[in-house]
Amino acid sequence: MTFATARTVALNGALGHLIDVQVDVSAGQAGVTMVGRGDAALREGQERLRMAVVNSGLYWPSSKRTTILLSPADLPKAGTHFDLAIGIGLLAAIEAVGEADIRHDAFIGELTLAGGLRPAVGVLPMVLAAAERGIRRVFVPEPQVREAEMVPDVEVYGVRSLGQVVAILNGEEPPESSPVVAASGTPLLTWRGEERLEEVDLADLDGLADVKYAVEVAAAGGHPIFLTGPKGAGKTSIAERIPTIMPDLTPAESLELTAIHSLAGVLDPGSGMVRRPPYSAPHHDASKASIVGGGQGRVSPGEISRAHCGVLFLDEFPLFRRDVIEALRQPLESGDITVARQEESVTLPARCLLVLAANPCPCGNWAANVGDDRCRCLTPVRRAYQQRISGPITDRIDITRRVVAAGRAQRDPFGTETSAEVQTRVAAARRRQAERYAGRSWRLNAQLPGARLKDTWPIAVEGQQAIERQCLSGRLSARGAVRVARLAWTVADLAAVRSGRDVQPGGAEVEVALRLRSSAPLDLAAARGQERAG
Amino acid sequence: MSGEDERHARAVLSLVSEPGDWGFTRLARELGGLGLLEALHSDPERHEMLSAAAARLPGVDAEATLARAAAGGTRFVIPGDEEWPTQLDALHAPDPLHERGGVPIGLWVRGPMRLDTLAEAVSVVGSRTSTSYGEEVAADIAGRVALAGHPVVSGAAFGIDQAAHRGAVSVGGRTVAVLACGADRVYPPAHRRMIEHLAAEHAVVSEAPPGAAAQRVRFLARNRLIAALSRGTVVVEAAARSGALNTANWAQRLNRLAMAVPGPVTSATSEGAHHLIRTGAAALVTGGPDVLELIGSAGDHLVAEPRGPSRPRDRLSIRQQQVLDAVPLASGASTVSIAKVAGLGVVEVRKALGRLAAAGLVHESGDAWVLSKAATD
Repeated sequence: MTFATARTVALNGALGHLIDVQVDVSAGQAGVTMVGRGDAALREGQERLRMAVVNSGLYWPSSKRTTILLSPADLPKAGTHFDLAIGIGLLAAIEAVGEADIRHDAFIGELTLAGGLRPAVGVLPMVLAAAERGIRRVFVPEPQVREAEMVPDVEVYGVRSLGQVVAILNGEEPPESSPVVAASGTPLLTWRGEERLEEVDLADLDGLADVKYAVEVAAAGGHPIFLTGPKGAGKTSIAERIPTIMPDLTPAESLELTAIHSLAGVLDPGSGMVRRPPYSAPHHDASKASIVGGGQGRVSPGEISRAHCGVLFLDEFPLFRRDVIEALRQPLESGDITVARQEESVTLPARCLLVLAANPCPCGNWAANVGDDRCRCLTPVRRAYQQRISGPITDRIDITRRVVAAGRAQRDPFGTETSAEVQTRVAAARRRQAERYAGRSWRLNAQLPGARLKDTWPIAVEGQQAIERQCLSGRLSARGAVRVARLAWTVADLAAVRSGRDVQPGGAEVEVALRLRSSAPLDLAAARGQERAG
Repeated sequence: MSGEDERHARAVLSLVSEPGDWGFTRLARELGGLGLLEALHSDPERHEMLSAAAARLPGVDAEATLARAAAGGTRFVIPGDEEWPTQLDALHAPDPLHERGGVPIGLWVRGPMRLDTLAEAVSVVGSRTSTSYGEEVAADIAGRVALAGHPVVSGAAFGIDQAAHRGAVSVGGRTVAVLACGADRVYPPAHRRMIEHLAAEHAVVSEAPPGAAAQRVRFLARNRLIAALSRGTVVVEAAARSGALNTANWAQRLNRLAMAVPGPVTSATSEGAHHLIRTGAAALVTGGPDVLELIGSAGDHLVAEPRGPSRPRDRLSIRQQQVLDAVPLASGASTVSIAKVAGLGVVEVRKALGRLAAAGLVHESGDAWVLSKAATD
């Protein structure tokens, strides 16, 4: 036999394509030809391959003509993880391994000249795609075994070298190989930022009772929230504590997010699945590509996708570039983001909890109360700044809250709730939603389609009337009306969790939702569904 | 007269009567505790009220109640005691409201704070169904006045009351809760932690004997005590039928200061507070400094008048301003042309320009007058 096929996976955004690597070794002018739109790094693979085969003590057909096709041939392919599949295809073509054994196998990994296997970016989504297409056995570089093993019903081999793969395929004892380095980079800075975030707790913050309630609602139902207030009032402190009140990811969420992080190449191979909601706070200088995704060649997930199922915090929101702000509109509505590149259009999940923060003016000191106002901005400058906030984005924000620094008198000497206590309620409220929306494509109230709000999960008549009145008086747009109704569902879910009764959204819940939306003060006890006896 | 016999007699009276019962408190003040108890024993048929109380006498063991209370850290303070807050004696004068009134027979107190230190106290009361706005304002006012050394009196209820105690405790100030139930009990139960803290560090006060339940009418009697204990009562967020209005009413009857914090005019939870302000029953206050100025002695804690920043222009006469306005913004102008624009005589304009130049608002450049930078700010 002079012809064989081995399989691997090409990633195109969140889409994995099963690739047939066909290798033909036959008589002709000696040399290697590779076709099938591989990028430069991939094409260099034939040099790595030759030395890897020779240094593994295997036969290299140097006197034959070798043709390698990556099929389908019209799909652009990038990456170095094709090496292993090409090598196995070649060895199968010269019958160094029996081809019949590899029809249900996929091979992932970059080869070194010594024949060792180096890790590749995106192993989890590759294996997911391969399993989807009927692959039952995968060979991955040893450090990425845990990542690949997250996919059910697939047999995973973690291997160190080409020689080991060949031995396994031939049913022989795999030879000893030196271990593979997990990652090429080592953190040069002793940066502890992420560890700091593990230490924070909602109980660290005094007062801010209604802001704390608002973020509880936002976390429970996935509602975008906008925090305004003078600098130093605690907007960032609140935002970075939101992940602490979110429950662990569900298995489905965990798999999605791990796949995204794997695609982005930010998954630490040692840590396995991502189980905690991510927190991402890009600087306002960030480019559109870094926020929504993009890049050259392969589409790389942006912050909005990397924060999927977690928190995306945009501090100093009006300072973000106009195109970034506009690009957020689609994902806010649909929960995913489509990025078009020259050759491909990629859709990535982006159901993150969006948290925006803004100072009231460029200097950050403006206050509505004359006594507290220390703003030095000129009025037109302040007006222009505030206008950047308004418009189509704010219409898509469910909750607006003013954060005012808690004075000494606003402390809570009789005990403040910890993040763990709030997280328990958020988890319970999410369970209510999961039961209600079982089998649907959405998970949280914020994603509930408007049409289903009308026919399947309507809110009680007096609630609808309250929304109608706001619409008639021009204080609420049609989109706003839908958002208030969704918010009322979350308010009801949390009230049900607090009170232990079944609460359906009605007039009272809509009232709370309208107040949350318009940054009006809240009657917290009523919002929580508590009885105020006595 | 405040011997242990009198204390014992008043404890008995406290146990057989309803807190703040006008007829009873009046008689107790006129006859004294021993005298009234004597009357109960000797001539209970004189009045229906007395006979009802006398009927309860056999089931009462004041000795045991006092002992149990003392064991639980509760003392019984009666008029004439050194600790008695004498500002309560003013309750003798006004007519009853809802048949409640008069000087209490005695007060059951739990906590280390002495009631005779409450002369400068301020009450902060309001609706149970409050908004976060009201709670923040209440905590802030309580914090400010407590920091200035005034104890904060409130009722330990949900909403504004709780925020008031919280604000005072937060700044390390002193605060007193006046309860409608017995001082040994906790009402509302959700505030157990706060009330226990107040009992341990401050004081919890009740006119009702230990063990008494928080019945509806007892809140009316309780409200009169909150008003009477303090120099002034601040109402933060009260709906149309709030009990806080009852407290404000008592403050007025006692000629104490009634104050109210406004809310948004559209807010139902501020309706009662707005009504107090509109009818002139309460002074409008916007925060702690306002309250301090009102309750302080004349000249203390004065609040700065709100005013904008002063500009050089403010000190000019109308004629001078007319002239200044006539000096063109972009380029300079001669005295004659300025006079024409201003509609004033040349001599007068020349004089005014001299003054303006001295004030640094204009200067001469060649033979034209030009606006200085100070005038354009």
